[in-house]
Amino acid sequence: MRFLADLSESLALSLDLKESLRVAVTRIADFMHADAASLFLLDADSGVIECRVCVGPVDILGLKLALGQGVVGRCVADNATQVVLDAASDNRVNSRVDAETGFATRSILCAPLSTAHGAIGALEVINRRDGGLFAAEDAEILRLIAAPAALAIGNAQLARGLIEQQRIKRELDLARTIQKSLLPKRRRGDFPVIGVNVPAHEISGDFYDFFDLDDGRIGFVVGDISGKGLDAAFLMVRAASLLRWCGKAGTAPSTWLGEVNVEMCQTLRNGRFVCAVVGYYDHATRSVELASAGFPPALLHDGEQFAEFIADGPPLGILAEVQYSQRHIELGNGALYLFSDGATDVRDAQRNTLGSSGLRDMIAAHSQLAPEARLRALVGDLKRLRLVDDTTIMLIAEPRGKSVQELLNLEFPARAEEMRGVRAALRGALDAQDVDPQLRDQLVLAVDEACTNIIRHAYCEVRSGRITLHLSRERDMLAFELRDEAPVVDPARLKSRDLDECKPGGLGVAFIDTLMDDWKLCACPGGNGNILRMRKRIINGDDE
Amino acid sequence: MSQTENACVSEMLGDYVVVRLSGEVDLSWSQQVRRAILDALDKTGKVGVELSQVGYIDSSGIAALVEGFQSARGKGQQFGLVAVSAPVMSVLQLARLDKVFPLFSDIQAARTA
Repeated sequence: MRFLADLSESLALSLDLKESLRVAVTRIADFMHADAASLFLLDADSGVIECRVCVGPVDILGLKLALGQGVVGRCVADNATQVVLDAASDNRVNSRVDAETGFATRSILCAPLSTAHGAIGALEVINRRDGGLFAAEDAEILRLIAAPAALAIGNAQLARGLIEQQRIKRELDLARTIQKSLLPKRRRGDFPVIGVNVPAHEISGDFYDFFDLDDGRIGFVVGDISGKGLDAAFLMVRAASLLRWCGKAGTAPSTWLGEVNVEMCQTLRNGRFVCAVVGYYDHATRSVELASAGFPPALLHDGEQFAEFIADGPPLGILAEVQYSQRHIELGNGALYLFSDGATDVRDAQRNTLGSSGLRDMIAAHSQLAPEARLRALVGDLKRLRLVDDTTIMLIAEPRGKSVQELLNLEFPARAEEMRGVRAALRGALDAQDVDPQLRDQLVLAVDEACTNIIRHAYCEVRSGRITLHLSRERDMLAFELRDEAPVVDPARLKSRDLDECKPGGLGVAFIDTLMDDWKLCACPGGNGNILRMRKRIINGDDE
Repeated sequence: MSQTENACVSEMLGDYVVVRLSGEVDLSWSQQVRRAILDALDKTGKVGVELSQVGYIDSSGIAALVEGFQSARGKGQQFGLVAVSAPVMSVLQLARLDKVFPLFSDIQAARTA
């Protein structure tokens, strides 16, 4: 028992398993009064059992056995102790080693290294030093001794597995970084093409790209590689390079897709294909030429209505002889959305997909925001649902920077004591627009009432909630947008009371009704939170 | 805008209690204002709320004033608003309460009413 405790301790304390196993096997040989002792480990993948530690007159280190072969193979296969009292007459004994080395095996004990997942190897001792035979209780002792060794080896294998996982994760992170670096950098200022890529896992099979042509047009590409994982990611790099290279020449979108398709058909294997949409945006005419190879329909939103443009041909890499058509889209003041199917495949809590109509609702809900903020808001909404696939969205829109000004963007805790600061910030923003002080105070009051309603009635005084206040101006129209993450409020419950009644409550909504030109409350897309939009036309003195 | 600190101080002037408010009366402390007004009405039959130093009032603050007014009227007590600041007056007008409350230009006028 003392020996067992020492053995366990030395195995548990040591990080250098190979050396400590060597010491342990030597001690086991001595303890069992054996001529030789050896330790075999099973390679779970190949099913080969190999001698990893060996002490005694014959070196069998590296000796390989099949599962079930010989005493050791049987011991591991059956996960059961083997006792050979007379080796000469036991057909389990492999006589080859003796024949090659001249060693005479008389008696063998072999105990499995058992773990919760079965035998991972075996511990074998050969020949009692005093020339006697091993007894049945010797087998029991060896079985006991094998237990701590099995535990130590099992733990070490587990640790090695973890280290390997860490290494793979590091490499994937690196791959992701490299992949991200292939995406175009966001342009400063008012650039009409913006994109975002949200990988579902470490690496993405989606990509987007845009670049300037000498004639002032902007080329753009969005692609989606079939399948997931490393091979899709490598293919993405190749497809992205080909599409960029071909588009940089200013080739018409239909030809552009056609040329890349021929190349892809020659090189793609294993049923892989690439969905892609390519085209040019012409800032001077505010129009887009594009062609789509199996990519989800492009959506044009003019602020009120959607138009949908379906693909002009099958995905790239399937049929070499396909001719793609192309189309001309007048963008005007609208916005064109190109999105990979990951955007419509997001799932809500009930596992329903968002679908094209859900995505349209989302886009419509954010259409007041400037493109950059809109894209961020869309991604935020999508992430609140469950992304199941890589998701890429490209937005092409003439910047509204000149017509729509962002005046204020505040996010604050939904608490009454925050409101004094919020009012001060709002006053400042309205003063900067030269809003008449009396109107300014009225607008501050309306926004304040809306916020306190959110605090009291939407969040029900739960103090962990947050509110965002967004103020923008388009010509003489001020747009106030308040967002919360509270349970959805039924707009029908908000009643404005008659101001002629004299009673303490219910004034807030009446104030908003009176002070704003119009207001609208709707649920956030995905059903998490509310959006209150209020508008007020302001007439400046010098405009009159 | 007014950086006056929020404060609510009740002052006894003979049989008259003045509740002096200052700062921005909003949801964060309007319950305290409501309590002070109702306490004053428990002490005496003549109460005025002095509002010259109030830079902002929201509907919850207005509600506290309306509740005081209704409570006083129910018990035949006097309740008025004193030295109403411009920001408060515009909210009272918005709520169409400017003709409902008795309004006084100063304490003296309120006490002798």
